[in-house]
Amino acid sequence: MGSSLPPKEANLFKIIVKSYETKQYKKGLKAADSILKKFPDHGETLSMKGLTLNCMDRKSEAYELVRRGLKNDLKSHVCWHVYGLLYRSDREYREAIKCYRNALRIDPDNIEILRDLSLLQAQMRDLSGFVETRQQLLTLKPNHRMNWIGFAVAHHLSSNSSKAIEVLEAYEGTLEDDYPPENERYEHGEMLLYKISLLEECGMLDRALEEMHKMESKIVDKLSFREQMACILLKLSRFDEAEKIYRSLLFMNPDNYKYLIAVQKCLGLYSENGQYSADDVERLSALYKSLKEEYSWSSAVKRIPLDFLEGAKFQEAADSYVRPLLTKGVPSLFSDLSPLYEHPGKANILEQLFLKLEDSIRTSGCFPGSLQMEPPSTLMWTLLLVSQHYDRRSQYDTALDKIDEAILHTPTVIDLYSIKGNILQHAGNFSAAAALANEARSMDLADRYLNSECVMQMLQADQVGLAEKTAVLFTKDGDQHNNLHDMQCMWYELASGESYFRQGDLGRALKNFLAVEKHYTDMTEDQFDFHSYCLRKMTLRAYVSMLKFQDRLHAHEYFQKAAAGAIRCYMKLHDSPSKSSTEENDEMSKLPAAQRKKLRQKQKKAEARAKREAEEKQEDEITSSNSSKSGKKQQSRPVDLDPRGEKLVQVEDPLAEATKYLKLLQNSSSDSLETHIFSFELNMRKQKVLLAFQAVKQLIRLDGNNPDSHRCLIRFFHKINSLPAPGTDSEKLIWNVLEAERPDLRQLHGKSLVEVNSNFLEKHNASLTHRAAAAEMMYLLEPDKKLQAIKLIEDSTNSTASGNGVLGPIKEWGIQDCINVHKLLDTVFAEQDVANRWKIRCAEYFPCSTYFEGARSATSYIADSSFESSTENGNVLNPEAKIKEGDAGSLNGTVHIVDDLSNLSMR
Amino acid sequence: MGAGEGEAAGSKEKSGGGVVARTSLDGLRDKNVMQLKKLNTALFPVRYNDKYYQDAIASKDFSKLAYYSDICVGAIACRLEKKEGGAVCVYIMTLGVLAPYRGLGLGTKLLNHVFDLCVKQNISEIYLHVQTNNDDAIAFYKKFGFEITETIYQYYKNITPPDCYVLTKFIGQSATKK
Repeated sequence: MGSSLPPKEANLFKIIVKSYETKQYKKGLKAADSILKKFPDHGETLSMKGLTLNCMDRKSEAYELVRRGLKNDLKSHVCWHVYGLLYRSDREYREAIKCYRNALRIDPDNIEILRDLSLLQAQMRDLSGFVETRQQLLTLKPNHRMNWIGFAVAHHLSSNSSKAIEVLEAYEGTLEDDYPPENERYEHGEMLLYKISLLEECGMLDRALEEMHKMESKIVDKLSFREQMACILLKLSRFDEAEKIYRSLLFMNPDNYKYLIAVQKCLGLYSENGQYSADDVERLSALYKSLKEEYSWSSAVKRIPLDFLEGAKFQEAADSYVRPLLTKGVPSLFSDLSPLYEHPGKANILEQLFLKLEDSIRTSGCFPGSLQMEPPSTLMWTLLLVSQHYDRRSQYDTALDKIDEAILHTPTVIDLYSIKGNILQHAGNFSAAAALANEARSMDLADRYLNSECVMQMLQADQVGLAEKTAVLFTKDGDQHNNLHDMQCMWYELASGESYFRQGDLGRALKNFLAVEKHYTDMTEDQFDFHSYCLRKMTLRAYVSMLKFQDRLHAHEYFQKAAAGAIRCYMKLHDSPSKSSTEENDEMSKLPAAQRKKLRQKQKKAEARAKREAEEKQEDEITSSNSSKSGKKQQSRPVDLDPRGEKLVQVEDPLAEATKYLKLLQNSSSDSLETHIFSFELNMRKQKVLLAFQAVKQLIRLDGNNPDSHRCLIRFFHKINSLPAPGTDSEKLIWNVLEAERPDLRQLHGKSLVEVNSNFLEKHNASLTHRAAAAEMMYLLEPDKKLQAIKLIEDSTNSTASGNGVLGPIKEWGIQDCINVHKLLDTVFAEQDVANRWKIRCAEYFPCSTYFEGARSATSYIADSSFESSTENGNVLNPEAKIKEGDAGSLNGTVHIVDDLSNLSMR
Repeated sequence: MGAGEGEAAGSKEKSGGGVVARTSLDGLRDKNVMQLKKLNTALFPVRYNDKYYQDAIASKDFSKLAYYSDICVGAIACRLEKKEGGAVCVYIMTLGVLAPYRGLGLGTKLLNHVFDLCVKQNISEIYLHVQTNNDDAIAFYKKFGFEITETIYQYYKNITPPDCYVLTKFIGQSATKK
């Protein structure tokens, strides 16, 4: 390095490099400048200066200098390496890899560059390149532990586990017998466990076991050792030995479901789908009975039998499970039991049980058949459980009555208010739900969970501004105002995005969805540091499982939701390009003049308020950063130039943007119907016939009975049939493909689309969503049958679903399905009267729903709203108007109660 | 609770054999003051103003929430007052326990807490107002050594009888508990 320089300057060059490594950038810059004074064209110095400037946030200068340096000295590996580092710092890994390769061409054995290259290859999953680089590193420095391990991991990642084992064994061969020294015992043990997991992966179970016996003394992580050993024994069908170890593990933690299931497996008492023969149930009961005697404090051994028991035995077990928890007061009891509602019949048994308990507590103060008086709180907890039960069964009125009774009994239990909020949300009254959640929050202002719950409900009710203010109560961190984004608070961003989308603010919606997408990009980035760290620390099992997790990262639910949200925004942008003022005027002109005026004023006010708020915020930030002495040192946060996402809305080609996210979904969530519905919608809009057809095929493959799959199928072929005969060659080609594929679709087999549609209807005649889909398609195929289609929807019956016994005698229709049907009638069929009829009908099914304006939707659900407002506004109540307490009659025998104040004047 | 129900017998008598529920006291803060508001709404036909809550919080350890197996079921709210001559006395603004949780000794626990604190801080006088016909309450407080020291006529505006007693307990260094 710096070889072409005279000694004095060569020394200065060393200083630059050293200063860069020690982050003393100013010093390095000085040294660079003094070299450049004499040798203004010295390539490596120019490059190093650029790299230094890059770290001082002077990006554009950095790139210019580094490029100039390279131009002046193309033969220098330093210049190429620096160029690569620059790209790496900007996460342009592909470019960086190219630069490193050029550097290595000049200096093939440069360990530093090889190591940097290997990290990038791991990050980019260039696995064959990774193996190659790792091999070179090992050849160059075989006495380095990390190089052996790196080579083995590289083989493992490129699906060559047996080779990885060989490398690890070769490495072991280089070790002395008394290895490891005391301070490396953990690392060595991890390496051994990693090797054993590799053996297991390759199916070499006997060898793995042998290895474990041989190395037992050298493995530090005893718990993993035992779990691994038991797992291998189980795989080898050596059940007795495996069971013995699992039992010893249970002794350490009898609440670990994995151990309990493993013991069941050892005894041949495990089935994936939870179905057991009567004989097996008998044996399982005996197993858990004995476990219960051994581990009376374990809740898992008490809870698991509820899953496999049936009928009277289930009722008995549920009874004895629930009682002590009601006495103790466990707010999470219902969510613990709620998976049982999936089992047919169990919900009914639970209902009978709960009601029996409630009745007994209410009348005698004891559980049925017991003489022991329950504490007073038991009635309240029982009422809560009963309420949640009815909520689960969509019987919201009963649920609300029960929860109100519980609140009346003990008005200080916060959970009651939260649950009531949830019930109201399910029943379709979002603003009441938010009010309840806010009441719960107000009862313990130090509880972050209650705060978050409340924020979520507010967003659900489209109170975004209020939600943000509430959320910020818990995010203020010194000077930092709002770090929700920095904390990757994705549930919040998703819910705000959805809310903005509902309100038609596509800019802000997109901003939130894209923010979530960015978090996932960051997470992918975040693995970079671990490529070197984990190899050094030898946490290999965790490292490899982290890499595998990263490979599936975008399949995560939050990412799916964000991508779906973004795609919906872009499609809407495409369908109604930039909510132009003309369109808005159109909408407004429909309104009477007075209302129009009001609306305009409202908009203006809202705009002014938003502007004011933004200004205030900025001012706040300025003052707060001024007030902190270290203000300058702190990285000044980049100002958000597009807080309302206006630029995001102005994309050239929304469908192209949407396609980017669709591709991510197709890669990671190809088993989700939604992915292919988006693919269908996008490609239909883009006129990509074959891709749309692909989507239809995927939908049929996943679930041909789904109403949306059916819609896509019909819409696709209806569209194809209406196209003019193919003209160009490529069109003919597409045509031929479709003709060839068509017979493969079972649904279509020699039938007309009308027939296909009526077959579908016949098959799913009883289901509202299917009927709606069939009606919509009927109208599409034969517009003159509009009335018939509407009748099809209106003739649907909301039968009680007692037949399947899962949820007992409750109405079948879900509130969201009914809302969708209403929208269908309102927009697609454009029949106001019919839609209104539907609305009135649904208002009866869902009296709490604000959407359908049901009878109970306007009720105030806050126990005492005047109380709320008076305290919050700090109104001092007029003392004259107050009655004094102490009136025993009206107090229900309230004891004593002492008076108070107000009559200060009298003293 | 309920005066004359054998409060002094301790805090566990009602919850039947074996089931021993935990009772505890917690301080009143602005973060949990809503609990007291909920209690008062349920217990008293009066809506207390902000000053009441400020006074209660300002009295620090004198105002307490009572918990029964982690549920807030009762409270004592006090105000510290300066008498002429500089001595401090305690005025009990409210004391109450939710109906289902009476008879468990929580009222006693709250009251005893205030007595103990008075001893520690050398406060010798505790007083409160009670409507003249509220016999239960008067009996309850008498059991704890309160005495009627004054009758104020026309104290209440909207209820009959409009008169109240002032009940006072003077704390000597020895007699901390009843």
